[in-house]
Amino acid sequence: MEEKPSKTVLRMSVNGRPVEVAVRPSWTLLRVLREELRLTGTKKGCEQGDCGACTVIMDGKVVNACLVLALQAESKEIETIEGLGTADDLHLLQMSFIEKGAVQCGFCTPGMLMSAEALLRENRQPSHEEIKVGISGNLCRCTGYAKIIEAIESVSPKKIVRHSPHSDGY
Amino acid sequence: MQNFQFYSPKSIEDALDFLSDKGDSCKIIAGGTDVIPGLRLEHLCPAHVMNILEIRKLRGITEENGRIRIGPTTTFTDIVQSDMLKQNLPLLVEAASSVGGPPIRNRGTIGGNISTASPAADVLPAVIALGAELELQSRSRGTRILHAGDAVEAPYKTQFNPDEILTGILFKKLPQGTKSAFEKIAQRNAMARAYMNLSIVLRATDDGNISDLRIVPGAVEAVARRVTAAEKILLGQKAEKNLIDKATETLAAEMVGVWIPEYKMPVLRNVFKRVLSSVL
Amino acid sequence: MKKRGIGVGCMFYGIGYGFSRQDISSATVEICEDGSVIVRSGEVDFGQGSDTIFCQIVAEELGLRYDKIQLIAADTFTTPNAGPTSASRVTYVTGNAMLKAARAVKSTLEPVATEILGENDLVFVNEEVRSKAHPQKRMAFSKLAKQCHLRGLQIVETAWYDITTKDVDKETGQGDAYATYSYASQLAEVEVDTQTGKVEVLRLIAAHDVGKAINPSNVEAQIEGGVVQGLGFAITEKITQEGGYLKTNSLGEYTIPTSMDVPVVESHIVEVPVSTGPYGAKGVGEPALIPTAPAILNAICNALDIRITDLPADLENLMRLIQEKGE
Repeated sequence: MEEKPSKTVLRMSVNGRPVEVAVRPSWTLLRVLREELRLTGTKKGCEQGDCGACTVIMDGKVVNACLVLALQAESKEIETIEGLGTADDLHLLQMSFIEKGAVQCGFCTPGMLMSAEALLRENRQPSHEEIKVGISGNLCRCTGYAKIIEAIESVSPKKIVRHSPHSDGY
Repeated sequence: MQNFQFYSPKSIEDALDFLSDKGDSCKIIAGGTDVIPGLRLEHLCPAHVMNILEIRKLRGITEENGRIRIGPTTTFTDIVQSDMLKQNLPLLVEAASSVGGPPIRNRGTIGGNISTASPAADVLPAVIALGAELELQSRSRGTRILHAGDAVEAPYKTQFNPDEILTGILFKKLPQGTKSAFEKIAQRNAMARAYMNLSIVLRATDDGNISDLRIVPGAVEAVARRVTAAEKILLGQKAEKNLIDKATETLAAEMVGVWIPEYKMPVLRNVFKRVLSSVL
Repeated sequence: MKKRGIGVGCMFYGIGYGFSRQDISSATVEICEDGSVIVRSGEVDFGQGSDTIFCQIVAEELGLRYDKIQLIAADTFTTPNAGPTSASRVTYVTGNAMLKAARAVKSTLEPVATEILGENDLVFVNEEVRSKAHPQKRMAFSKLAKQCHLRGLQIVETAWYDITTKDVDKETGQGDAYATYSYASQLAEVEVDTQTGKVEVLRLIAAHDVGKAINPSNVEAQIEGGVVQGLGFAITEKITQEGGYLKTNSLGEYTIPTSMDVPVVESHIVEVPVSTGPYGAKGVGEPALIPTAPAILNAICNALDIRITDLPADLENLMRLIQEKGE
């Protein structure tokens, strides 16, 4: 019976915190995030870089976590959806997605948000076309992309004040 | 995915040492956009995987002696965002921007596109059209230069030896007045494998004579190449309709029937004509 | 050469299972002692918004804030059978069950309110119950709930709703197929590159008669998503198999539309209420994607005078047809 290679310790930063986890060489970053670190906000879709459900930000750039070997993430800074915002402290983009109705089944949403965040960091007021390019690596079957694009468009430099996540009445 | 040992050298020297010992059972990984799916599907079952992304010298776009050197681990995003390349090698920028989507472009590399040698590659044909030279290094042979057009033997198989690593892709700057164009046809507008792509580089003198012409179709032959038979029709001539038609037919005839399916032939003719006219 | 065309697709679609197939649902509405409301539904909200509209329906009926309704959904231990979440039936059948349960609960609350307020022309609005003619005669919903509990009254109701139809005559096809139908028309404007066979959809306009849009944003979202799925069906999605094995078995091979493939989608909600629907509502889930491919194919025909009869109208298919026609 083939012996499994021993584990190596991987050291990286995840959402601003240093992390140490023993990994096998064949593991991907996606597997480490979801299974070892229990950060299941990043989704497992196609596992071959075709759907974008596993999009995270690594050293400032969006990548498919399924296409990064865990050990390639050594010393890197990883940002996942859990770092973007929480239920009690929603990120501007998350609030916008909610307001605009850009979330249906939600499976593509974490990846979409990470791509949107990376886009807005580089380009604070992207055009409609630039937004389409920015999320072109993220597939969505539910929304037809319309409300997602609207939600990203509506996050403008004016709205820097953080609002309460709970709206007033209906 | 089968198990393997992972090695991540920090220098070219360390990489070469490793390859001289373990090259036969080692797969090099950079961005991983082709290698990782290959590992998952077990098309690739190497005993060792060597990550070259930590070798800083392998990434970057520099000018040296009037030539442009691009490191093999330079990503498609690096290429797309390079003002220097937009100015000097716009063909490469166009080809790189057509690949995948942002997460793929942030990881996929020019060296990887060449090394994977997929018949449907987008950047490799542009590299060939630009007449690039590939710098390869190994302990056994030292440094050798390979013309990009000679790099690929067969689909998914380069001429690179197991102990060799690609260390640079070198481009001569194109003379003033050289034009280039790239077109990619695919079933959808992003995240798509090329149904066909075409790279053309053309330079005409003031009187309209074509002094330089390179035609490289992609995803239509097993191995992309300059179709010199078609280029010769127009070289040294003015681009008149009958010559363009003749070049088109020559191009079509050159496409050995085995690979390109019949339904793509008219598309090839049409795309050739319009890409050519865009650089005339 | 790029040629443009415009095409229209129209559809009507039966809501529910029809043809005498069992089509029932149930829902539970419970008023707690402090006036809070618990709703139980067996339907699955996988993003289409059924949870939302159930809360809206109950809130509307009881004059409460929609975000104060607590919903328990799709819990086999505690939620009643709502039938499958499919057939574009959820708003219509389970929505009706919700409405029925809310009204049943109301019918327990009303006599108590009448007794306390001394009026019987009551309206439930703004978290209160008050007399229409004498609005100063009012009480908080939560107080009414407490009063009912103190009187030992049961204010939890599970209501059933059945839209099973009689069926049609097997010979003539006439009769009672479905309980109701949704109607829609969609218009597509395309541009076809006759040199490559590439079809770009420039605009998609969809008008859907949904009876009543209980949540217009969600209806729009369904339409926007459905038309893109229809676009994929028409142009980019192809299943191939070889010897019984699926070749297009990954998202890399089975290519659904990306953000770069979608046009501007204009959706129009048409409301012609159906008396049998909750607040007049019907369904939109499947209707959203039904007329899209026909509209796109008609637009291609308008552009090229070529009838496409098998999908997708992809590069290969289109180029073959263009060649056959002789360009």
